Amino acid sequence: MKFLNHLEEWFVSFLMAGAVLVIFVAVVHRYAAGLPIPVVQDWLLTINLGWAQELCIIMFVWMAKFGAAYGVRTGIHVGVDVLVNKLNVRTRAKFVIFALSAGAFFTGLVAVLGFDFIWHNGMHYAVYNVLGLNDGSLFEGPVTPDLEWPTWAVYSAVPLGSTLMCFRFLQVLVRFIRTGELPHHDHSHVEGVDETILSHTLDEETEASEGEGTAVVKTTHGEDAKEAKA
Amino acid sequence: MSALVIFSILLALMLTGMPISISLGLTVMTFLFTMTHVPLQSIALKLFSGIEKFEIMAIPFFILAGNFLTHGGVARRIINFATSIVGHFYGGLALSGVVACALFAAVSGSSPATVVAIGSILLPGMVQAGFPMRFGAGVIATSGALGILIPPSIVMVMYAIATNASIGALFMAGVIPGLIMAFMLGCMTWYRARKFNYPRQPKASWGERLRTFKESAWGLMLIIVVMGGIYSGIFTPTEAAAMSAVYAFFVSVFVYKDMTLKEVPKVLLSSANMSAMLLYIITNAVMFSFILANENIPMQLTSWMLDKGFGPIAFLLAVNFVLLMAGNFMEPSSIMLIFAPIVFPVAMKLGIDPIHLGILMVVNMEVGMCHPPVGLNLYVASGLTKLGITELTIAVWPWLLTMLVFLGMVTYIPIISTWLPTVLGMM
Repeated sequence: MKFLNHLEEWFVSFLMAGAVLVIFVAVVHRYAAGLPIPVVQDWLLTINLGWAQELCIIMFVWMAKFGAAYGVRTGIHVGVDVLVNKLNVRTRAKFVIFALSAGAFFTGLVAVLGFDFIWHNGMHYAVYNVLGLNDGSLFEGPVTPDLEWPTWAVYSAVPLGSTLMCFRFLQVLVRFIRTGELPHHDHSHVEGVDETILSHTLDEETEASEGEGTAVVKTTHGEDAKEAKA
Repeated sequence: MSALVIFSILLALMLTGMPISISLGLTVMTFLFTMTHVPLQSIALKLFSGIEKFEIMAIPFFILAGNFLTHGGVARRIINFATSIVGHFYGGLALSGVVACALFAAVSGSSPATVVAIGSILLPGMVQAGFPMRFGAGVIATSGALGILIPPSIVMVMYAIATNASIGALFMAGVIPGLIMAFMLGCMTWYRARKFNYPRQPKASWGERLRTFKESAWGLMLIIVVMGGIYSGIFTPTEAAAMSAVYAFFVSVFVYKDMTLKEVPKVLLSSANMSAMLLYIITNAVMFSFILANENIPMQLTSWMLDKGFGPIAFLLAVNFVLLMAGNFMEPSSIMLIFAPIVFPVAMKLGIDPIHLGILMVVNMEVGMCHPPVGLNLYVASGLTKLGITELTIAVWPWLLTMLVFLGMVTYIPIISTWLPTVLGMM
């Protein structure tokens, strides 16, 4: 299980970095090839990076599908929880269980639909061909325009990612039933600021200001926070 | 009729608290299996083709760029710069809060993160200087919302995806409204600070201003890289986003040294997490709007509106009302993806400019983040300052009112949003 978690995290981070790099190299290449530097220019012009856009899209689609599964684990998929949170604990628990089951149901359904789609879109042919079962009645599926990869392989991100996502929903559901805890994502986390400083300073401040009224102090706010951190 | 069914299902599912993306998807599936004869294959195809657009890929890139620069160090530099410029006016620190929020939000791309970053650095200083906590919290909570109007803005990319509008033109169109809004919030702050005689900072010398500007310029250059790149035609919007991510990485690791190379994977992972969530909403919203279009719902709405004799004025009023209501419950990206495909066709029929509509919707999202009962910024500010939501509601009202006035201006004076892109020849 831990291995799967790490693999998932490593995989989405890699795709993110890879996509940036691909587009960066493609853009640099496009402009560098326009510079009249002998030899280098000739060499650059022989490289065709027309497939970069497509590769970037494919990487991001894979990242999106697996990242969405990771997101279930981290609780980043937000819903409208205003009403539900107003209910008492028991009723709320029922709603949460329903919502999580619905998530598992939907992602499971998508996985099945997606698998069905890629199966009829060339996977059937590919698998039977490898196994030597093709009797000539099956046709090869389409390929992507630039990279000429089989589309079924590219699209298999949907059933695979959705299956993983379904599994994550079930995992969260089981954990919720057992412990009553839900993963929660903090949208307002910022590196390099210490939020506890604030409540600290404020406490001291209210105590201090009670004594001396509202004295105007020259502030050195930036350094303040730095010092407190050190 | 089918419109009523679709929206009832969606509303019911949403209110159970399940993720918005899942409720969109389940609505489509329920409707599909019970009420209509759309072939399943065409929906399955939408599952794949939903996010296969190069424009959409700008979103993960912008998120990554923002996350590299969402750091206390960057916030501190921007605050120092802002204070050196506007600190000597009445309510100096609060004014620099407005300016710093506008700049930091544009760079980081996240409103809640802006409220936390600027708030946790600036608020202690403000309280020490003698500002009441409420005043500071009100300024920061509302100014933090400025980010989605000042480019690069992810919500604008969402609008562009939903309506096929030009991302470059939208970004340009956001500049002037963003500046006006920051100016109006600043005026309100100045007015109230003068009334209650809040402290001013000593006037900074030009040398000081230059020094702080130099420090913060590396981060602020991100906006220039994106806007300049798109406007001059060097990059497409998606390429500009990718370049800004590389630039942000370079600045934060090698120039500012806020981050070590070791921390980079963490940033990558959290950006991937965030973008995957947004892309998942997009996938499902694409299916949803496909069903809507398939049932002719935007067309029906258009003809109904025209039958009733609704003009642009009444229509825009209704749009504002509906969006402000929705802003109570949902976050900006989802609202944009659900409502833009419905509102857009009607607006086109009534002769409203697509860019103008986009900016208007974005300003609505902005207001929605700051108003009770469920403004995200209010919650974040409340967590930061330990003030209750009710108290914060009172605290933000002067600025919230300013925002509503501004919303009215943007709604009925289209030239505010369309002037710059028109002059630049982008639309």
